[in-house]
Amino acid sequence: MTEIALLVQGLLDGSIYALIAVGLTLVYGLLRILHVAHAGLFTLGGYVGVVVTNQTGSFVLALLAAMIVAGVAGMIIYRLVYQPILHLPPYVALIASIGLFIAMQEGFRFYDEQGVSYVAAPLQGTVAFAGQNLQVAKIVTFFGAIILIGGLGFMAARTRTGVAWRATVTKPKMAESFGINIVQVRYLNFFIGSALAAVAGVMVSLTTNLVEPTSGDVWSYKALAIIVLGGLGSMRGTLIACFALGVIEAFGTTSFLGAIMNRDAIAFAFLVVVLMIRPQGLFVRT
Amino acid sequence: MSPILSVRDLRVVFGGVTAVDGVSFDVAPGQLLGLIGPNGAGKTTVMRSITGIVRPNSGVIELDGQRLSGLPIHQRMRRGLALSQQLVRPFREMSVIENVAFAAGHQKTDNPLRALVTFSHAKEQARAKELLEMVGIAEHADADTGSVPLGVLKRLEVARALALGPKVLLLDEPLAGLNTSEAETLAETIKNLLQGGLTIVLIEHNLREVMRVCPHLVVLDNGRKIGDGPAEQVMADPVVRAAYLGAATGDAGVAA
Amino acid sequence: MESLLNAYDMSLIRTAAIMVVMALSLNMITGFCGQISLGHAAFMGIGAYTSVKFSINGIDFALGTLAGMALAGLLGLIVGLTSLRVRHDFLAITTMGIVFLFSGIVEQSRYLGDTDGLSGYPHPAYDDFTYMMLTILLAIGVVALSVYIKRSWMGAAFKSIGDDEDTARLLGINVPLYKLSAFVLGTALAGLAGSLYAHQTTIIQAENFGFIESITVLSMVVFGGVGSITGVVIAAVVLTLLPLWSQAIGDYKLLFYGGLLFLMMRFAPYGLAGLAQRARLLLTRRAGTAQ
Repeated sequence: MTEIALLVQGLLDGSIYALIAVGLTLVYGLLRILHVAHAGLFTLGGYVGVVVTNQTGSFVLALLAAMIVAGVAGMIIYRLVYQPILHLPPYVALIASIGLFIAMQEGFRFYDEQGVSYVAAPLQGTVAFAGQNLQVAKIVTFFGAIILIGGLGFMAARTRTGVAWRATVTKPKMAESFGINIVQVRYLNFFIGSALAAVAGVMVSLTTNLVEPTSGDVWSYKALAIIVLGGLGSMRGTLIACFALGVIEAFGTTSFLGAIMNRDAIAFAFLVVVLMIRPQGLFVRT
Repeated sequence: MSPILSVRDLRVVFGGVTAVDGVSFDVAPGQLLGLIGPNGAGKTTVMRSITGIVRPNSGVIELDGQRLSGLPIHQRMRRGLALSQQLVRPFREMSVIENVAFAAGHQKTDNPLRALVTFSHAKEQARAKELLEMVGIAEHADADTGSVPLGVLKRLEVARALALGPKVLLLDEPLAGLNTSEAETLAETIKNLLQGGLTIVLIEHNLREVMRVCPHLVVLDNGRKIGDGPAEQVMADPVVRAAYLGAATGDAGVAA
Repeated sequence: MESLLNAYDMSLIRTAAIMVVMALSLNMITGFCGQISLGHAAFMGIGAYTSVKFSINGIDFALGTLAGMALAGLLGLIVGLTSLRVRHDFLAITTMGIVFLFSGIVEQSRYLGDTDGLSGYPHPAYDDFTYMMLTILLAIGVVALSVYIKRSWMGAAFKSIGDDEDTARLLGINVPLYKLSAFVLGTALAGLAGSLYAHQTTIIQAENFGFIESITVLSMVVFGGVGSITGVVIAAVVLTLLPLWSQAIGDYKLLFYGGLLFLMMRFAPYGLAGLAQRARLLLTRRAGTAQ
């Protein structure tokens, strides 16, 4: 396993983290809430993706359905869970989110404890590269993530909606006095973030061919660690941290560390070490 | 007589802006010193450097001959400093008197081990009562800190700081937000605190009260000291007057 | 007395007592001192694994328990040190990471049983009833310790830190030292709970001490009312026994927990203690107007 191969593997995984982390950063940036329940939207996306593909045979349709269903679910979560408690101390929202996350997980368990699988999974197979076999699904995810996130970034910078959105994130009161509807911006954030998480959920389901209630857990815990690492609220920091973590995991698991701790432990060890050196995260929120 | 608090060549730079530029002054024991200056002069930064909330780029601060540099905030407080904060920060989960009693127990909270084996609150309650009376808010002793007006909370800050039994009491804009009669009363109270041998350094915008109670003033402008001496003399200084009149302030009554 | 309780009842009581210890131990860190910890179950795990390893090597149960507490406290000290550098949200995620570090290391270790865990280890020579009494006694002891700390000046210092740590500093409180004390106390007691837990079951695995388990304990503290000893004890007993008593809730245990957490935060964020206080205020107001 050459260095290049590991690097590429890390970047591929990083793109999955990125799809999840963007939503988390959007919510944190706007509401200062650690949206733990985001994990459930990843899993929801996976379930919808599998079920719709199996029912209709069309993966593209499934992907779109997953994005829309998760997006709407995200908006509902904002309205029912977060909006009523915004005025209370932040730990309240965190715990409420955790509670919701657990409840969602159980919800999936009732739907199908064993989890769901594809009848005929698309985008299977691997590509040989520098001594490693890279999954096609992950490669597609990587490019998909770049397009989606890059597109978001472009929209944020160039379009009217995007500028309004940025204004709301950085200076909500001022944005309000300019007539921007803050609540609408929040809904938009939850929709986009959740939709992206759903994409991640669907793409990961291709690599494992199984979506079960706890699918979203570890990816999402790490995504939370990533946004903290990136500097809570800094999109740039988050994205860099995503790929950094992916690469660290790839190299870490094959190093001596892999003998004493598993992949997840390496990720969190990295987080703790970085925070000890830079308690505010890699990038301060701009 | 050697100063009880001395600041030498204090320099604080925040990301390119020099907030404090080589400020030096001494405070004699038992003095009531007013630290004044227009907005943004650096007064709060100086005070924060003394308490340790801000780490200066250079300069020496000594309390009673002991260097404060490098000491964490809580240790500076234990060496004889106390601060009454500009934006009041009462402990929300304690009543008015409990806030002061807690501060009065500072010897017992010196280290966790000691704190673990000490129980009695009686002495501290008594002392707190005394202090509340001294600043004139004894009637609010058992009130919830969320339900009393700002005037009471400002006095609570002072009482709480006093409970530490300091050598030097730093007051950061104790009169801000108070109406004229409240400000006058609190200023009188502050003046009377000197009787215990306390030294007080006061930052204030309310020039009328400062001039009434502070015999001695240090004036800052744009991070530099532009005045240091007896109040009348300093306020008569054309440089000082220019600094104030030049800036468009709403400060109460600088005599024309 | 023994004949009144069957083996199942006794195991219920033992479990409840152990969870009381766990909840109160977290209450010291989060309730008294205001430091959020989402990874408390890991310290229970440390206590459990240490105690089991000791008994496998033929060492006395009491010593094994003390060793578990010491190791848990030591690691709690290290985590406490991280809490000095990071705050709030950062701390929440860091403590979440502790759980993954724990299971990640344990599951990679042959010595610690990999993912299979440790089983078939010797138990102390107590019968069911005696062991139950032991856990009850220890739980009472921890309650007493909690009350003691809360009433002492250490409790007062903790309270000030949880309320406003910057102001506490300005009042001479050595905040870092106190935070560390809270962590060490809390995690050592979690280690105690872990050891007790390990010897009333036949197998322990890293997944018994994961994120969900940490959240379960946190939910007891929150449900009881952060900081309130009575509230937390009641919450621990109720939340432990309810799913075990009621089969309906038992199947949906996690859904129940999750829903409970979420509903509580939405409608009663200050927990049972908060509700009790509100009730008290209502009653005194009524009594006042009645006159």
